[in-house]
Amino acid sequence: MVANIKDKAVIVGVHNTEFSKDSGVSELSLAAQAVKGAIDDAGLKPSDIDGFATFTMDSNDEIEVARAVGCGDMTFWGRSHYGGGAATGSLHQAVMAVATGMAECVAVYRALNGRSGHRFSDGVSGNIMTADAIHWGWYMPYGLLTPASWVAMFNQRWMHLTGVTKDAMFEVAHSTREYAVNNPNAFFYGRSFDRAEYDAARMIADPLQLFDCCQESDGASCVIVTTPERARDLKQPGVSVRGVAQAAAADQEQMTSFYREEFAAIPEMEIAAKNCYEMSGLSVDDIDAAIIYDAFSPIVLWQLEAWGFCGFGESGDFVLDGALRPGGRLPTNTHGGQLSEGYIHGVNGIVEATRLVRGQSLNQPDKEINHALVTSGVGIPTGGALLGKLD
Amino acid sequence: MTPEEQKAFEDKLYAYVGVKVCSRKPAKDAVNETMIRHWTEVMGDNNPAYTDMEWAASSRRGRTIAPPAMMYVWNQEGYSVASSGRASDPQTDMVEFFNEHGFTGVLGTNVKQEYSREASPGDTVYVEMVIDSISERKATARGTGYFFETLATFSDQNNETLGTQRFRVLKFIPQEQPAAAADTNELQVPTRIPSPRGHDNGWWWNAVDEGKVLIQRCKSCQTLRHPPRPMCGECQSMEWDSIESTLDGEVMSYTSLRHPKIPGYPSDPICAVIKLAEGTNIVSNVVGCEFADVHIGMKLKGKVEQVDEKTMLPQFYPA
Amino acid sequence: MSDYKTLSVADVSVGDKLPELDIDITSGLIVGGALATRDFEPVHHDKSVAQAAGLPDIFMNILTSQGLMSRFVTDWSGPEAIVKSLDVKLGAPNLPGMVMTVAGEVTACDAEAGVVDIAVTGENNIWGMHMQGSVQIVLPVEG
Repeated sequence: MVANIKDKAVIVGVHNTEFSKDSGVSELSLAAQAVKGAIDDAGLKPSDIDGFATFTMDSNDEIEVARAVGCGDMTFWGRSHYGGGAATGSLHQAVMAVATGMAECVAVYRALNGRSGHRFSDGVSGNIMTADAIHWGWYMPYGLLTPASWVAMFNQRWMHLTGVTKDAMFEVAHSTREYAVNNPNAFFYGRSFDRAEYDAARMIADPLQLFDCCQESDGASCVIVTTPERARDLKQPGVSVRGVAQAAAADQEQMTSFYREEFAAIPEMEIAAKNCYEMSGLSVDDIDAAIIYDAFSPIVLWQLEAWGFCGFGESGDFVLDGALRPGGRLPTNTHGGQLSEGYIHGVNGIVEATRLVRGQSLNQPDKEINHALVTSGVGIPTGGALLGKLD
Repeated sequence: MTPEEQKAFEDKLYAYVGVKVCSRKPAKDAVNETMIRHWTEVMGDNNPAYTDMEWAASSRRGRTIAPPAMMYVWNQEGYSVASSGRASDPQTDMVEFFNEHGFTGVLGTNVKQEYSREASPGDTVYVEMVIDSISERKATARGTGYFFETLATFSDQNNETLGTQRFRVLKFIPQEQPAAAADTNELQVPTRIPSPRGHDNGWWWNAVDEGKVLIQRCKSCQTLRHPPRPMCGECQSMEWDSIESTLDGEVMSYTSLRHPKIPGYPSDPICAVIKLAEGTNIVSNVVGCEFADVHIGMKLKGKVEQVDEKTMLPQFYPA
Repeated sequence: MSDYKTLSVADVSVGDKLPELDIDITSGLIVGGALATRDFEPVHHDKSVAQAAGLPDIFMNILTSQGLMSRFVTDWSGPEAIVKSLDVKLGAPNLPGMVMTVAGEVTACDAEAGVVDIAVTGENNIWGMHMQGSVQIVLPVEG
């Protein structure tokens, strides 16, 4: 097959910053200036930019550039690897995004203090001052150091606003564990827990206790994607990607979006949900089962709300009705989740969502699974996908 | 040391076994409430048997007692140890004898106290001490040396025994430390992990070092922003200055990192997202109260403090 | 008068774990503990002397460690418990900036005599085991 991007993407704005031996500013500042200059050259506004592409070697996170420039929500970012090999590689990312409609205006950037900062001639050692390192610096000195503590900070406020209690967190952790009990590949195969054990487990970061937190795991997961035509010739029933989206919302930080007017929310996941539904032509009622990213139990609750299974603050009642269980409205994390199967950064979830649609889950629900949802992590730029049977 | 030298050394050394370090003598002060209170405060010991007269009067004992673990305290030599050095006695003589022969290392290894009777305010504690035993020469991980054990016996003004203490000490020839090993990170006391300081944030942390918390302000549209960034997200101006925060704040959310324990940090640090009166949010610690007292909406007042040897940080107290 | 509970020996079984206690090791605790135990050895209050002795900072004296171990056990047992012995094996020093986690477990329990043995460990988060030992107490036999 021939790639189908011809004339589907157009370069409309360009800008270079001053080039020097010592810029006197941060790499983030250079990136912001370059992006702003190109936006001006094109006659666009910062809020028009909804995607970014750069090098894996670039030290400026897309969300840091977006915040600096005052861009809004983002639906695409992609990086290209291998040093200078990424020059047209990042353009390639941007063209694919625009050609497919994943984003409308993508800024391709590369910013470096390659003389005054980390020099290529230094070799591969040395301290590298990155926007990312500076970002963590706002939290490290206070001891807000772990993913559990960042999620706890959101959750404490979310519980305060909604009145949802640990009963709901227990239900998420417990229903997930009950699936793992049947999964020989799960850390907790054959090992259940009860409410007393849940309540007695050690506090990790208030209000998260041990069973609210996922495993730290070694392992790997993979899924292979190809064309529908080829898929029909292969041995397994094909599982089609009906919709897939990524999103970062305005004022996004990495795990610490504490500076929004109301931060006990995940607007980025709401954008991903909206775009997935639009792309697929499906609605929440079409989803039969879900793999919801569960590094921590409460984040499942927030995502149920973001994907529209229930309204804000209603996820507690939703799960306490047994929705996540085998016979429930939305059997969820049927592999045992990352809480109880293993934490492979959500890719084991794509494996399980595929199995659900194939009808091959170890905990295959009794009902027909026509469509399954699978989501990415929470608190960061995120995304989700809707999978269905290949027609 | 040749075998002959060692024999001569050990002959002299073992002569110390059974030697009295001190004969029975009284403490300078009787057991008293003031010293007990001082001790219980530092130990964080709220046992009413030590300090609550009313409770103690109706307890099985009918009176307050001194913490048994204070038994050794009453006869301590006192400030002269710091000002003019420990007074000489047979034990210090023996230690000096060790030192002269290269056994300069010292390590307390075990201490066992047994209590037969509880002392109360008004009682006087007497002590007598003897060098009870000296081991044969041993090769230890620290170096070659000898363990010696002192036995102290405590009694009261009626010559009733209060208890005993056995203290075991290793005197050894320190092994030569390779220079590299002596300077390992292991000997550094950890401090909090600092923020890296770059173009966009270094000025903010430098101000903290001088006791001030600043908020970046766009010179063009006056919008405040935190954390600092090189460009204003509202008007894209790169010109900025800053204002100093009053550090009046309110808790937006909070948590406490209970596990794992991080070297250099207090246990269970309380972290919070705090809305400052100026309108921007900041993450910091809540201190000066218990975790259970923290709640969303709680008013706070911050100040910049030195939290460890290397770190200045804003810290927030209940207002 | 406050209500202070004391465990009865019938409440205790071998294998019972005592509630863990985390203690922030600060200069204040080390110096305060040294003075509260009338221990004026300069290594417990003068950093330059401690450094000359090869340690990076002042360190906790033994009498404070004993005091903390005793407190840890009687916090759990209640005030009518009579402490009979405190047997401590000393390990790595406690220095400012460390956190010592104290844990304990009942290792013997004589229901008739009320004698209970508790194994106690105090481990700091940098250098490991600071103190390890056993505490013997006598608890009231009837309820």
